[in-house]
Amino acid sequence: MIMLLPRFQYHEPASLAEACRIMADLGGSVRPIAGGTDLIVNMRRKTVAPDHVVSLGRIKELCAMDLSGRTFTIGACCTVASLAESSDIASEFHALREGALSLGSPLVRNLATVGGNLVTARPAADLPPPLVAYGGSVTLQSSQEQRLVPLEQFFLGPGQTVMKPAEILTRIVVETPPAFSGSSYIKLGTRRALEISIVSVGSFLTLERPEGRIQSARIVLGAVAPVPMRARDAEKTLIGEIPSRSLFVKAGETAAGESKPIDDHRGTAEYRRAMVSVLTQKTLQAALERANSSQRE
Amino acid sequence: MKKTIHINVNHKPFELSVEPNQTLLEVIREKLGLTGTKAGCLVGDCGACTVLVDGKPVNSCLMLAVQADGKQVTTIEGVETPQGLHPLQTAFVDKGAIQCGYCTPGMILSAKSLLDRNPKADEAEIRKAISGNLCRCTGYQKIVEAILFASRYSP
Repeated sequence: MIMLLPRFQYHEPASLAEACRIMADLGGSVRPIAGGTDLIVNMRRKTVAPDHVVSLGRIKELCAMDLSGRTFTIGACCTVASLAESSDIASEFHALREGALSLGSPLVRNLATVGGNLVTARPAADLPPPLVAYGGSVTLQSSQEQRLVPLEQFFLGPGQTVMKPAEILTRIVVETPPAFSGSSYIKLGTRRALEISIVSVGSFLTLERPEGRIQSARIVLGAVAPVPMRARDAEKTLIGEIPSRSLFVKAGETAAGESKPIDDHRGTAEYRRAMVSVLTQKTLQAALERANSSQRE
Repeated sequence: MKKTIHINVNHKPFELSVEPNQTLLEVIREKLGLTGTKAGCLVGDCGACTVLVDGKPVNSCLMLAVQADGKQVTTIEGVETPQGLHPLQTAFVDKGAIQCGYCTPGMILSAKSLLDRNPKADEAEIRKAISGNLCRCTGYQKIVEAILFASRYSP
């Protein structure tokens, strides 16, 4: 006998406007559902039992990806598998592709959505570090207003974001990287699928020119603070410098010093700090190689 | 309140009246009586409940039946062809890739989805494709060998 989910009323709006209206009218105990890979698990464990569930799955505009202009727009209901399979993402956003391929399992990735991986605000989630590294923003929509929030300001703590109860995360907006940019994301776990990160790092670099100095850098650490965190001091060590192994070692050590890991059953704080250093170096090296070989002018 | 959904399971159309809190897994097993799809962890960690939805393998314990409205679903019962067992099923039997059998339907559906897209998948691709399906008996080696065998010798 299968343990049943708590009962709820199900709503399936066909448009975003209708979804916003339903969210506003119902108030209180209402949850949107996209892929459902977190919500259904939480309902199964009885940690949430909403009276109403609002499906976002039939709203076409939430399922589209658009890389036609200077910005790349990803609908919140795009599946993680669709990110991993996108040729646009494979050519321009390596770290995002690596994040998508690190998430859950192939079975989970076919259901889970990019928006879901953000709104749940888990400190070890795989898509926030790459998306923060690209300087991404999210659009939050309610029946009252629409606002664009930089992802860096979106997360408040484990499970906590700036979203208001009736808001829906509709899309992720990322600037197309400048020429001579590269990125990389590495997740450290004890197994290679269905794993929650012990530490993860996403790095993004832009060079002045191939083999040139570092013009800008973003390093984002996952699972070592309550929210995905920028290693700003480590970034500063890189700006204006010629890339080298010793420079990346210094950046890695600086990032380790900035991280705020905890001890838990997945790893000790000391181990996590050491791995922040290693993963920072490795992601910077991979980002550098990609920046050097980037073809775009 | 019940909702009416239309789903196509193993090439047969069904009109079903389901509760919103019923998962696709529950409907497949209890309403349609297709018990080849197994209930394991119920939280998306084990892959025993794997089915194909529009050709893609998913955990049917993580999908509401109402979310499957309008979709094509393939369960292990739909894998056999008029000519007999699917080459993957034959390979699993011949290569000893089945022990207790609980993970087998999910393994075969994950493998089928891979081989439908990539008929000559190599070992690394196979291991990735079944990485959401746990087996506690075989140590995976014989399962990988069976899928490799099916990929080499399927027409």
